[in-house]
Amino acid sequence: MFLRQLDLTTALRPSLYDEETLLFVQDGVGLYEGKFKIPNYQNGHAYLTSHRVCYVDNEDPRKYSVAVDLKDVDRPEFYAGFMKSSAKVTLFPKATKRSAQAIRSPIPRYASPSDALVRTGSSAQRTAAASPKPAPARDINATWICPICGLSNSVPKNFDPSTANEYTTLSPCQACGIKPPLALMIKASIAAMSNRPAVTAPSTPRPSIEPSLMDGPTQPQTSKVCPRCTFHNHVWMSECELCHALLRTDEHEDVPISINNVQRPESPGPTLSGSILNDDTIETIKLSFRAGGEKAFLERLKQALVQRKWLLQSAPPVPRPAFSPTQSNFGAISTPNGQPRANTPVQRIVGIAGLERRGAELRQNNQTVIGTAFEDLEALMTSAKEVIAMAEQFAKQNGKDSAEARNILSDSASALGLITTKDMLGSGSSSETLYITELSRNLAEFLTDDRRGVLRREGGIMSLVDLWAVFNRTRNGIELISPLDFEKAAEMWDQLRLPIRLRTFKSGLRVVQERSRTDDKTIATLLTWLREPQYAFPPAEDDLMGQTFGRGVTAQQTAERFGWSVGVATEELEMAEETGSVCRDQSLDGIRFWDNHFTHAFSSPDKRPDAAQMLDELRV
Amino acid sequence: MAATSPEPSLSGLSTAQYTSSTIAYTPSTSTTQSNTFTFPTYTSYPPFYTLQPNLNIRPAQLDLWSTLITSYAAHHRLFRISLSSPPWDLFTNASIHRALKAADIRLVLDHMSKPENGARIEWIPPTTRNEQSNTCWIYWKTVGEWADAIYGWVDETGQKGAVLTVYELRESDAVSGKEWKDMDEAMLRKVLNALVKRGKAQVFGQEENAGVKFF
Repeated sequence: MFLRQLDLTTALRPSLYDEETLLFVQDGVGLYEGKFKIPNYQNGHAYLTSHRVCYVDNEDPRKYSVAVDLKDVDRPEFYAGFMKSSAKVTLFPKATKRSAQAIRSPIPRYASPSDALVRTGSSAQRTAAASPKPAPARDINATWICPICGLSNSVPKNFDPSTANEYTTLSPCQACGIKPPLALMIKASIAAMSNRPAVTAPSTPRPSIEPSLMDGPTQPQTSKVCPRCTFHNHVWMSECELCHALLRTDEHEDVPISINNVQRPESPGPTLSGSILNDDTIETIKLSFRAGGEKAFLERLKQALVQRKWLLQSAPPVPRPAFSPTQSNFGAISTPNGQPRANTPVQRIVGIAGLERRGAELRQNNQTVIGTAFEDLEALMTSAKEVIAMAEQFAKQNGKDSAEARNILSDSASALGLITTKDMLGSGSSSETLYITELSRNLAEFLTDDRRGVLRREGGIMSLVDLWAVFNRTRNGIELISPLDFEKAAEMWDQLRLPIRLRTFKSGLRVVQERSRTDDKTIATLLTWLREPQYAFPPAEDDLMGQTFGRGVTAQQTAERFGWSVGVATEELEMAEETGSVCRDQSLDGIRFWDNHFTHAFSSPDKRPDAAQMLDELRV
Repeated sequence: MAATSPEPSLSGLSTAQYTSSTIAYTPSTSTTQSNTFTFPTYTSYPPFYTLQPNLNIRPAQLDLWSTLITSYAAHHRLFRISLSSPPWDLFTNASIHRALKAADIRLVLDHMSKPENGARIEWIPPTTRNEQSNTCWIYWKTVGEWADAIYGWVDETGQKGAVLTVYELRESDAVSGKEWKDMDEAMLRKVLNALVKRGKAQVFGQEENAGVKFF
């Protein structure tokens, strides 16, 4: 069972696959591996989806976020928590096909040198470096000698001596191309397994630490010694040049030994050091729920395991009364593999009759789909995929208003995911804040979603009220957000360090914009635009005033130019006036804003800054 | 003495920003110069005619106005500015259709009357009580400077010790090229009083035929 690195969205939530749905969120979660706490993964959010269990760290989400695929999970187990230890849900991995587990000797697999780690109350005695490493199938040092040419080839990774029989495919020798006899392979792999305990330099990714520690972790390495033939290879080699044995990867030599492995000094449970990702030797993964929510999590997890939604990705289409080859078109859309269905013999009818029949069949099909889909809500959810595929088909056929249809399509497709509803969260005192934080992240994702381009359409800045309206519209009538919740969520953006910020103008107008657009930048863009006629080349002949003073703009013109709303434009101009970059000019036809020449140009008329200098000033 | 004849003017339309070509320019007391005053660049800058709310920009703007008014008055030998009929092209720029509002003109003149800003303006107290003054003197030269100028002329022409009438000082041919020609009577009196204080002159006689003797 792997812990995989997790992709996060801009709002630091896990990025879901196409058909993956979010089922549950809980914060205050820590990760354990077996009995040990995993350092750096002790304070975060757990996201349960239909395909995975994800952990997103709170301190450094981009670095310490992992996920476990549900298809690797055999069963969950519940531990109710006792006194100081909190409730835990344990995920047991499925037994892999490599049943080398049976062959493996039951020596504990964690090589934590006892002299480096301070552990209290650890029961098992850990052996030092030379603890044998996992599955011999992973042991890349197993080699077999070709009886014909004598080259030592490596035993393929998936070769398992206990299950090999005469039908197991064997790879031929690399030099002479002759396949070896089965008995030879089996003998070689067994010999390699039994030889391993004697190997002092372990060749696995699990950090043994000892040899490198002995040398001193800071000693720079000049060559890599091959464990099999003791040839000194270059540091960057991954395979030995002579015997092609895989060399030990050195990434873990820099692993710092965490002496301070106890985050919560009073809780039991020792911690591990080392990288936890992509490690195949994990026995179990535990999630410790320090803020409650374990019962609901377990329920949902069990449901998700039963439903096995991840299988749908490669599932064949639902069997339907077959009509003709036109079905294969449809089937290709439903399944990514595009397996054509060949239930009935192909009836080749050409001509108008064929076209008519095809049309009739299509209509019949659509009718069936719509009928079954809209019968009830559950069926709708399951056949949502097909309905969307059908809608896409229609959209392709009607070319002219496809833009709008596409918008609707994309809206509906993306609306199926990423919405956190209140029942997805566990109970507990922190559920209110959790709801607000999740809503906050939802909003951030909604705003930065490039498919919708919400913020971009408004010129990068949008009033809070407008955003509330747009956001609720996409919710399609369910789970609308109250203004109070919305406001609370908006205020949390800063706290959660999301890329959006809420800004309050002097008049009280609140707007939403990207974090990177500071006031200075806005002023700089404004001034560049205002000064344009001055530095335009060639200068406009009749625009003497423009050449001298630049452009005077009204709020309406500013709104048009930048794509803002007029209220926002007025606020921005007034903000710029406050900083002294522009000044106002009031006349019967309204208020115009000009570049402020009072301060720099008029005071010393001989010292007019030239174009380059002005542009420098503006480069924020 | 040129009589002022104020005409209905911009003050009635306090919000009017457009100039009307029917307003005739009637200077209060001055002779119109033939050579035209060159207006500096900033008079074509539209925000110049709007009082800036930003209190960092406003002092700069007011200073510019102060300079403009003073130099304009010096050029046109204006000694008095009346709010009811201000000099037309001073506070207005027809080409950009902008004009300084009456309330703002008053503000600018108030600013100029403060001692820390040079005290170039002095409000003439109104005839009726509890009314705001609508006219002011403009000192494009300060009183002391005027005193020096007059005394210097008297000295140069060797009229020290002679008795001159105030009328002579103001309007005779002898002073035809001088800057204080046709100065406001009241203002001239102030100047002479300053000289008296310095002990350089003495005024005697009645109002109408006052005479002054320089020492």
